[in-house]
Amino acid sequence: MSNVVLSAHDVRKTYLSGDRRIEVLRGVNLEVHRGESISIRGESGSGKSTLLHLLAGLDAPDAGTVSWAGAGAGGERRADFLGMVFQSFYLIPELDALQNVLMAARIRRAPGAAERKRAHDLLARVGLAERAAHLPMQLSGGERQRVAVARALMNSPKLVLADEPTGNLDEHTGDSMIEMLLTLCRETGTALVLVTHNVAHAAKTQRQAFLHDGVLT
Amino acid sequence: MPWFLYLALKQLFPTGRWFPFFTFMSGLGVAVGVALLVVTTSIMGGFGQGIRAMIVDTQGEIQIMSQAVIEDAPALLQQVESFPGVAAASPFARGVVMLSYNNKPAFPIVIGVDLARVDKVMPLQGYLVQGTVDDLDDDSVLLSVMLAQTLGARTGSLVDVVSPLALEKITQDEIILPRSLRVAGIFQIGHQHLDRSTVIAPIRLMQELYGLGNTVHGINVRLKPGVDEFEAAAAMNAVLPFHQRALTWFESEADFQSIIRFEKYMVFFLLTFIVAVAALSIMSSLLIAVVRKTREIGLLGALGGSSRAVAACFCAQGFILGVVGTVAGLGLAWVVITFRNEIVQILARLTVGPEVFQQFYGFVDLPSHTTGSDLTIIIIGSIVASTLAGLVPAWRAAKLKPVEALRSE
Repeated sequence: MSNVVLSAHDVRKTYLSGDRRIEVLRGVNLEVHRGESISIRGESGSGKSTLLHLLAGLDAPDAGTVSWAGAGAGGERRADFLGMVFQSFYLIPELDALQNVLMAARIRRAPGAAERKRAHDLLARVGLAERAAHLPMQLSGGERQRVAVARALMNSPKLVLADEPTGNLDEHTGDSMIEMLLTLCRETGTALVLVTHNVAHAAKTQRQAFLHDGVLT
Repeated sequence: MPWFLYLALKQLFPTGRWFPFFTFMSGLGVAVGVALLVVTTSIMGGFGQGIRAMIVDTQGEIQIMSQAVIEDAPALLQQVESFPGVAAASPFARGVVMLSYNNKPAFPIVIGVDLARVDKVMPLQGYLVQGTVDDLDDDSVLLSVMLAQTLGARTGSLVDVVSPLALEKITQDEIILPRSLRVAGIFQIGHQHLDRSTVIAPIRLMQELYGLGNTVHGINVRLKPGVDEFEAAAAMNAVLPFHQRALTWFESEADFQSIIRFEKYMVFFLLTFIVAVAALSIMSSLLIAVVRKTREIGLLGALGGSSRAVAACFCAQGFILGVVGTVAGLGLAWVVITFRNEIVQILARLTVGPEVFQQFYGFVDLPSHTTGSDLTIIIIGSIVASTLAGLVPAWRAAKLKPVEALRSE
C-alpha cells in the first residue's frame, strides 16, 4: 500500500485580471508521504495560497490532478482526511476554545465522550487546558492559533495544510507555534505542508520547496 | 444535533453572552407583530362573542321567522317544542313605535313577549334594575336603561306610545289617540345595542299596537345545553313549511356578524404586514451576517461542511428567530389581554376621560375571546414567514465558494 498521502501532478492555474491572463501555476508536481513535513516558500503573489487551496481541494486546477492517498481531493473525505491552519486563525467567535476544536468533529457527526476527551487532550497538548472555556476574543493571537492547530488535528487527519500560520504572530510566538505543529504532526504521523515566508521555519521541515515562476523547485 | 443547527443556536445565543442583542432585536419585531395580531383578533373575537351572547341571551339560539306573520302560533310552538334538543320556545312580535315622555320623543323598538313563556328563553327578571316582571301587564312596558335616561322616565312614569297603525288610520281619516302606558320597570341587558332604545311589552299589547290580532312575528327557541344550533336549525327547516324558516343566532344578525367578521379579517390582513416587515428585518440582519461571516463560511467549507448545511444554518436561524419571537409575542399578548381594561382605563384617563370614552365608544371594558384557530394561523404564519426570510441569506451563503470566502477581506 502506497504511503503517498498527497500527490499533485502537472497542476496549472490561470487567473484573469481584467484582460490579462495570469498563469499562476505552470505545472506543479508534488508528492507528500505519510508523516512527512514539507515547506513551500515563495515571494508574495507567487501563488502559494492558490497552490494550497488546490491541494486542499477547495479549488479545481485548470489542468493537472490533485489526489489524496490515490483518490480525488475534496468532497466528503475532507473532514476525515484534511486539517487546515490559516494565517488568520478563523475561529468561530461565538464558540469557546473547546467548542471550536470540537467543531471539526461535529461536522462529521455529533461528538460523543471520546471526541470531547480528544478535544480536551489536544487543548492540553497545545497548552490551553485552562483556557478551554474562553472565547476567541479572550485569547491572545498565539493562543488562538494554538486552538486552530488543535482543531486541525481533531479528526486525526492524514494531512495538515498550514497557510502561513505564523503570519499574524510575533517571532517568538511564531517559533514556538511551528515547533509545536511539527512535533504534533510527527507524533501523530500526520503529513504537513507548511506555506511560509520564514526561512527559519521552513528549514525545520524535512523537505523544502520554493515556488517560483509557477513551478515548485 | 446536526452541526448547522448547533451553530445556528450558538450564533443566536453565543456562549458567555447573557443578552444576545441581535437575537433580541430580530425577535422583537416578530414578537410585536404576533402580539398585535393576537390582541387584535382576540378583542375583535370578544366583540363577536359579545354579540352572540347578546343575541342568544335575549332571543335564544334559534329564531323561527315567517315571510309574513305566523298565523297559528300555538300549533307551531307545540311543533317546535317537540323537536329533540329544544328546551323552550316563546313567541314574539316587534316593531318601531313613537314614544314620548314630557314632550321628549323617541323611536324605540318594542319587543312583545309572552309573559307566561318568556322567562324560559330570556332571563327578563335578571335584567331589571328597577321594578319586577310581575308588575308588567297589558297597560305597561319596560324601558331600556339608556332610553329611560334619555327621556328622564322612571318606574311609574306614564309614557305615550303611537304605533305605525295610528299613522295608517290617519290616511283613512281615522284618529287613534296615543296610548298611555305605565313604566313597570327598567332593564339593562349589558349590550349597548339593546340598552340604547328598546321597550319590552306583553305580546298582547304589541299585537294591539300593530293590529296583529292573534298573529306573531316569530318564535324564539332556547336549546338544551350542548345542542348544536346549526344542526338543530337544519333539522327544523327540514320539516317546517317553505314560508317559515329557522334561523340561527348567526343568521338572524348576519349583517352585523358579517361586519364584525369583515373588520376582523381586514385588521388581520393589515397587521400581517407588521409580521412581514419583521420577517424582512430578519432577512436583512441575516444577509448582513452572511457578509460579516464570509470567512467563517469559507472555514466551514474547509472543515468539510457542505454548502447545503451552511444554507441550513442560516435558514435555521430564521426559524429559531421566528419561534423565539412568536413565543415572546404570545407572552406579550397574554399580558396585554389580561390587563386590557386597565390599559383602556389609563388611555381613557389620559385622553378624554372614562365617561366621554363610554359615551363615544360605547365601552370602557374591552371584551376578549381568543380562538384556537386564530392562534394556530398566527403561530404558523409568523414562524413560516421568519423561516422563509432565512432562505435568501441561506441561498447567498450556499453560493459562496469556500476558496473565495477564505480570500475575502
